[in-house]
Amino acid sequence: MAGVRAATGVGADADIARQNDELGPSARSGRGQLTAGRRRQLAGWLFLAPAILYLLFAFALPIAYNVMLSFEESSPETIASFTAPFAGLANYRFILSDPTTQSAIIHTFEFTAGSLIGQFIIGFTLALLFSLRFPGRTIGRSLIIVPWLVPLLVTGVIFKFLFQLEGGAVNQILLDIGLAHHPIDWLETPQLGLLTILIANIWLGVPFFFLLLYSGLQDIPIEVKEAAVMDGAGPWQRLRLVIVPIILPVIEVTVLLGFVFTVKVFDLVVALTGGGPANATQLITTWSYNLSFQQFIFGEGAALNNVLLVLALICAPVYLWLSRDSLRRSTGAAR
Amino acid sequence: MTRLERSRTLRLLCTVGAMASLVVVLFPVYAVVVASFETTLTLLGNTYYFLPHAATLQNYQVVLQAQAGHLLTSLIVGVGTAVLALVVAVPAAYALAKYPLRVTVVLVSALLVAQIVPSIVIATSLFKVFHWIHLLNSYPGLILADGTYAIPFAILVLRAFFFSLPNEVMQAARVDGATEWQTFLRIVVPLGRSAVITVMVFAFLNGWGDFIFALTVLNGTTVEPITLAIYTYLGNFTQDWGAVMASVVFAIVPAAVMLVVAQRYIASGLTAGSVVG
Repeated sequence: MAGVRAATGVGADADIARQNDELGPSARSGRGQLTAGRRRQLAGWLFLAPAILYLLFAFALPIAYNVMLSFEESSPETIASFTAPFAGLANYRFILSDPTTQSAIIHTFEFTAGSLIGQFIIGFTLALLFSLRFPGRTIGRSLIIVPWLVPLLVTGVIFKFLFQLEGGAVNQILLDIGLAHHPIDWLETPQLGLLTILIANIWLGVPFFFLLLYSGLQDIPIEVKEAAVMDGAGPWQRLRLVIVPIILPVIEVTVLLGFVFTVKVFDLVVALTGGGPANATQLITTWSYNLSFQQFIFGEGAALNNVLLVLALICAPVYLWLSRDSLRRSTGAAR
Repeated sequence: MTRLERSRTLRLLCTVGAMASLVVVLFPVYAVVVASFETTLTLLGNTYYFLPHAATLQNYQVVLQAQAGHLLTSLIVGVGTAVLALVVAVPAAYALAKYPLRVTVVLVSALLVAQIVPSIVIATSLFKVFHWIHLLNSYPGLILADGTYAIPFAILVLRAFFFSLPNEVMQAARVDGATEWQTFLRIVVPLGRSAVITVMVFAFLNGWGDFIFALTVLNGTTVEPITLAIYTYLGNFTQDWGAVMASVVFAIVPAAVMLVVAQRYIASGLTAGSVVG
């Protein structure tokens, strides 16, 4: 093992030496050796090289190519070729006038807003509940994470099973407690389909909201809470005037990440409803997949992808601003 | 009511409330496990049974025969994604935390933005790019694509961790004559073990649970992970819920194992995702 490490160490030195040669005489110090600072600089770049290459290949290239595709006239015939005839704005004109695309955009907004509201209310309530001391809170806290760890496609399959018309658990519960008199066709009724994917998504997202908000609540100093009690604040006042203002930064980050996560949702809907019935649960992601991979019109799919990308990136400046401390820190890294 | 009685009642109420919410949160998983032991006849009936009705191992026999290969595929993809994340992210995070490079701010911003990019955008392009460079239907192609979930997250989490390493540790190694690479491999990586494990656990689960890239850059003939297999199976045999549910149990097993074995790392990873933000 030590031999292998030594060997790779030598390899890294050789790499530095090679880079050194490429840089020419100016990069060398008087004795033909790298100065410590420059050597470190080179080592840093070598450590970064795989990540930079990966980001270029897996993010920059696909995004750039996606922009290119969106201005091309694609058809099933052009699927194998890297380029297709230039189409101008035709793909964008198509998706902006296409009723299914419009409804997919509206569904995405409804789905995202509904999910965030539901996940926040439930996640925050559970976080407050588990901040109190009672028996079983430790084990309960770790079990709440379970839905987050289930693969998204699998969650869709599970909810498809639970929301079945005949013999589904949800209908059985509603019938048993008398809230319904006949089984409800959740997955085949347009309005209910959207509600079903919303419920499934809230279920899988609650652990994330819970965990972040819970850890935020733990950071509130006990003195602050005690002082509020001393001042005679009731539970509601304490929540509104003390707790929420203190953990507001955590709430902001959580909702932001929740938004980013929710506009991307794809697997869940594909498994649960497949975008149906009659495109009633089609989101931007699933409709984009449909355009590209089922109708083989990649140009239109790419144009819709860019709409989605712009929607998702709206929150990028906010995200960068919230991360400003971490960003700034990097400029003053160890010397 | 005295103060003591009131706090005791409150505590009881909390426990009841917590248990009730756990029942709702865990019920879907419970229902899957129960259903995986039911006969197809029971599952197709008009009544849902909350308790095991007529338990059988038949579904597992069917699934082990039909899905063992797909489970192995998912295992390879999960491990591959974890290894890729390790190789790309650990050195990069170290450089971004400890080296004074001009590119740091740009790169960290790019990583934050990369986390926002929806997978369908990447998948549509990668399908065509992979077609061109012959990576469709291959493990390397799928693993490279799955890395898009894991790598930005991994670099940011590890970078936050490496900040906490005192610079003296590295300086001491340099004084002892270690090269930058030796310092990294022998000092930094071992000290960062827990953060490295966290990102590997997440990268593994990303690779294991991926569906969108499996659906787009594979055609399901040569390489077919368990998520894609379940989706295909469900499309072809919607009625065979017993077998589907047994497959689902297998698909959840790694997550369950991780929750028991690496719980500490999972909880810290989930919160680290926002702390680095």
